[in-house]
Parts: sequence; C-alpha cells; structure tokens
Amino acid sequence: MERERETHTHTHRGREMEVGRLPISASQRGKLIAAGYTTFSSLSSVSPSDLARDLKVSDNEAHEILKVASHSSGLERSEGSHLIVNGAQTAWDMLHEDWFTHITTSCAVLDNILGGGISCKEITEIGGVPGIGKTQLGIQLAVNVQIPVDYGGLGGKAIYIDTEGSFMVERALQIAEACVEDMLETNGLPRKDFQACQNEMQAKDFLGNIFYFRICSYTEQIALINYLDKFISEHKDVKVIIVDSVTFHFRQDFEDLALRTRVLSGMALKLMKLAKKFALAVVLLNQVTTKYVEGSFQLALALGDSWSHACTNRVILYWNGNERYAYIDKSPSLRSASATYSVTGKGIRDSDSNCKRIKMM
Amino acid sequence: MTPENLLHGPLTTQKCTFGCPIIDRCLGGGIPINSITELVAESGCGKTQLCLQLLLSAQLPVSHGGLAASSLYIHSEFPFPFRRLQQLSHVRSSLFASNSKDNPCDNIFVLGVHSADQLFDLLSKTDSLFTNPPTGMPVKLIVIDSIAALFRSEFDNTPCDLKKRSSLFFKISGKLKSLAKRFGLAVVVTNQVVDLVGSDAGNGLRVGNLGSMCSSGRRVSPALGISWSNCVNSRLFLSRNEEIVGEETGLVDKSGGDFIARRTRRQIQVVFAPHLPKSSCEFMITRDGVFGVDR
Repeated sequence: MERERETHTHTHRGREMEVGRLPISASQRGKLIAAGYTTFSSLSSVSPSDLARDLKVSDNEAHEILKVASHSSGLERSEGSHLIVNGAQTAWDMLHEDWFTHITTSCAVLDNILGGGISCKEITEIGGVPGIGKTQLGIQLAVNVQIPVDYGGLGGKAIYIDTEGSFMVERALQIAEACVEDMLETNGLPRKDFQACQNEMQAKDFLGNIFYFRICSYTEQIALINYLDKFISEHKDVKVIIVDSVTFHFRQDFEDLALRTRVLSGMALKLMKLAKKFALAVVLLNQVTTKYVEGSFQLALALGDSWSHACTNRVILYWNGNERYAYIDKSPSLRSASATYSVTGKGIRDSDSNCKRIKMM
Repeated sequence: MTPENLLHGPLTTQKCTFGCPIIDRCLGGGIPINSITELVAESGCGKTQLCLQLLLSAQLPVSHGGLAASSLYIHSEFPFPFRRLQQLSHVRSSLFASNSKDNPCDNIFVLGVHSADQLFDLLSKTDSLFTNPPTGMPVKLIVIDSIAALFRSEFDNTPCDLKKRSSLFFKISGKLKSLAKRFGLAVVVTNQVVDLVGSDAGNGLRVGNLGSMCSSGRRVSPALGISWSNCVNSRLFLSRNEEIVGEETGLVDKSGGDFIARRTRRQIQVVFAPHLPKSSCEFMITRDGVFGVDR
C-alpha cells in the first residue's frame, strides 16, 4: 500500500518536474527550473546558445546539459512510461529513484569535482587543518539540504552532531540568510524592504530544521549514533547527517586501542547502513595530524588507519598559498581532482581568484 | 536523546566583553561562552594583561556585555600578578555599578598548577565551584594562563612522548568543553610561540587565516603543534612589531646616524574562529589596561 502511494506521488511530480531526474549538478538544476525549463520537451526545442543565454552559463555547459537531457528523455521513452512501472525496476530507475541525489556546497567548482555535490546514500569524510572551513562546510550543507525542490534542492532536514562546540548559531543564521537571498536572486526577484523581513523569517525556519545534538564524550557519541535509526524513522525528511568532528572524543588515551578501532568501525558501519536505508548523505568532518614519514612531515587524517575504509569518499581541505583547496582523495566513482573554494560572510562560495580552474590529477 | 531546538535559545551566542568597544567590535563582541578561545603570543605582548582585564569585565552586568559572573584563574607561571590586578580593578571600579560594595578581587578565584596532570585533576574536581559558587555570582569564566608552560618540561621529543602529550591535550580540552557546555562557561587559554627556523616549507604548516605569524620581526608559530590546535575553537594572535614611521626626517641622533622614528605596533588578529572573518585590530597597553586603537 505504502509503495503504491509513493510511486503515485513520484510520478505525479514526474509530469511537472522532469528535469529533476537529470544527472546534473544541483546548481544547474536550480538554474533550469528558475529559467522555466522543467520538462524534457521544453529542452528538446531550445538551441544551446539560447539556453546558455537563459541560464547565464557558457555555450559548452548548455550543450552538455542538452546532451544529458536528450539522452535521459530518449531512454525514458524507450523504457516505456514511468507512470506504469510498478514492482520491477530498471537500472535507470534505480539511478533516479530518489529525486535529487546530491547536496550542493554553494561552490560550483567544488560541486563539479564531487559529481554534483555531496552524495546521498554515501559517507563522505572531509578532513583538514583547523580554520580551513570544515565547520563552515558542515553548516552550509545543513542549510543547503533544505533548499526547496522548486529551487533545485532536496527540501530535506539536517542532523548536526557537534562534538567540539564549533557550531555557532549566529553563523548558521548568517549562512541561512545568505542562502535565502541567493534563492530569491535566482528567481530574479528584486530585493525589497519588506522582503528583508520575510527573509529573516525564512532563515529562522532553516535553523528550526536543523536537529542539533551536542556531544561531550565518546560514550554519548556512540549512544547517539545508535539512536539515529529510531530518530530518522520518525523524521523521514532528514537528508543529511553531519558529524563535526568525528574523532575528537576518540583521541584521548584509550587503554584498549583494539576496542577503539572496533568502536569506530562499528560506528562507521551503522552510519553507512543509515545512509543506504534512508537515502541520506553522511558527512564526517575530521581533524588532521602530522605523520613523520620518510624524513618529512605529512598530513594525515586523524585515526585514519583504524576506520576510514568504511568511508565511501574522502575529501581533504588544504591551503595552497592564500587559497583554500578541496581535493578528492578517495572515491569509487569520482576522479582525483582539486578545486578552489572560499569562505565568505555568506558561507562557502566560489573563490573569485583567477585560478578557479579544476586541477585533474 | 532529544535534539536542541536552535530557535529556543538566543540567536547570538553570549559573549564576555573585553572591556573595550574597539576590540569587541573586531572580535564579534568578545569571548564566546561554551567555547575555548586561545590567546597566542610571545612573552610581553599582553596576553596576561588581557586575561586580567577579562577577569574584571566578566563581572559587568549582561547589559554592559559582561557575564555578571566570577572567574576562575588558573596560572602555571609564578607569581600571580596580584598587584597589577589590583591596579586594574581600581581603575575600572568606576565602570562598576556605584552601589556595588564588592571588591572585584573577591570574585576572582586563583589557583596555581605545576603540571598538566595536576590541571586535569583540578578540572575534574571543580564541579562544586560551579554548582555552589562561594560568592553571590556564579562562576562563568575560566582562564588558564598558560597552557604551554604545563607541557614544556615533562615531555621529550620522542614520538612516544609526543603521543602521550597529545592524548593529554584532548583529555584536557574535552574536559574544558564539557564544563563549558554544562555550565555555560567562557574558557580562555593562553599559549606561547616558538620560532620557525629553516625553510618555509619545512615546519611552517599553515593553520588559519595568516600565511605567516610575525612577532618582534621573527616568524613564529604557536607552541604545542597541530594537535593542540585541534583542541581549541578559536585562536587569536597577539603580536608586537617595530614599525618605521614616516620618512627619514633628516634629523640626526646622538651617535650621528639618521634619526628614523619607530614605534611599537601591537596587533590582535583572528587566526581562526567559527564565527569570525579574518579580522584584526591594533591595540595598546596602558596603565588603565588594554585598549583597541582605531587607525
């Protein structure tokens, strides 16, 4: 009964928001919807240069989007109508079973190397030195997961597990306000005075949709992770779990190191199960430590040896000169690449330096 | 286990003012509660001065940016600068409510420690200080001055000792953060610097907003390494550098050389903080305390 109802909702939206099923980045999807392109047929009759002009992107990018769209719509037509499928799933169906499978980071080049943003159904570990922007990214994701479907987002909620006390409400509010402003700008609405008041209300709504847990010991952390299955069963709109940071409480003296390894692995396994069961993204922020390897100091993620095999993706944040970079260190599907980003008053954004290129390794 | 509702609390974290509006403005209002803020500087830059000032401004009413609270000052370097504290409290007594008969020094609890283990022991036993404060005001500020001194002599540079030392960092930090959360405390920890020698690439791992940290014309780095950096929420760097002011005036000094006006420029900079952009301000230290300078 439940399954039929879900299918019905899915396909009902399907008629109105076909671009939701395209494997493109969240920001590209947002631009399409804002410009009025919501169905495959709307894209089938537009030229790349017209689309580029409407979306304010390069001709190349518009061309890519149209290629993806025609491929997707072609496949769907050949599979028969989505309206009828009930029961068996094709591989294509499985790929697009969930509406939107990535959470944008608000930085286009970072989204790009991540394959559209932070992946749902996977664990992404993000590590870096203090001050590089881990918490900033965590808060940005907790906000961005809430971007409504109409704006190209997931319309979900967030669980933020704060183990270090780095989460500051005023910063989260600031990032939420900037996100609301960006959403309205995409819509082309001019900023009016009364709008500011509405923005504030909407930003506060964003805060209200972050389930915030403050953890002060490793036992609390384990207990909470064990509790999450029940919690998320009661709050199915949670689409991201952020742990900031995952290893802090484990870096004290553990008499039994084997126990620590087992506990961490067990925790990672539970999180992986949650990611798959509820189709949400798990983001684990981690600290770095220095290892003296072959005569030089190298950065390594804390406690990496004991458990990080459980993480699907690993991203390292680092400084290169005065620029912040993100580097894909491990991923089953993404290429090793690095991209530059910045931390601004609005949150995580593209860097406005000239070297905004993506470096492929 | 219930999540906290972010909308139920204040939408701005409570802060303890530094007692100077310019410094407050640079640092987002002051020291945030429920957080560890580190002050890093070489000796003589004003860390302790700033701490003493905080012990007094914490007692201000909340309407004046204070915490309406007593403080716990844990020092590892001896002796405790009692005379300077008294001097400051006399100067600042004009800021306090005129009907207050309290001697501000009565609301400051001072403890000396000699080792990191002793500090941890102490922190494990302080609960009663927060649940049953000795004076009328609750204790809401802990200052540890300095953390570096506690680790200097006990640990060798071997990987084994460094690991032990690192574990102790996380133990102490975990305890402080737990206390900060339970009792709504602001925690300030001071740290020293070490010189960076050799090539840039060698031991100059960049942490935070500053490409390089300079004081007294030398490149420096906070003591206790990257491990400890992971244990604090915010890091502020105080520096002192000589600056050449203006052009050569053509005047000649006693020894016959050109007279070039120099002045000591003191700066406080945000190295990293979850709620602050890269900001800095100049300050000076006078008889009356530490004050920001608008230039």
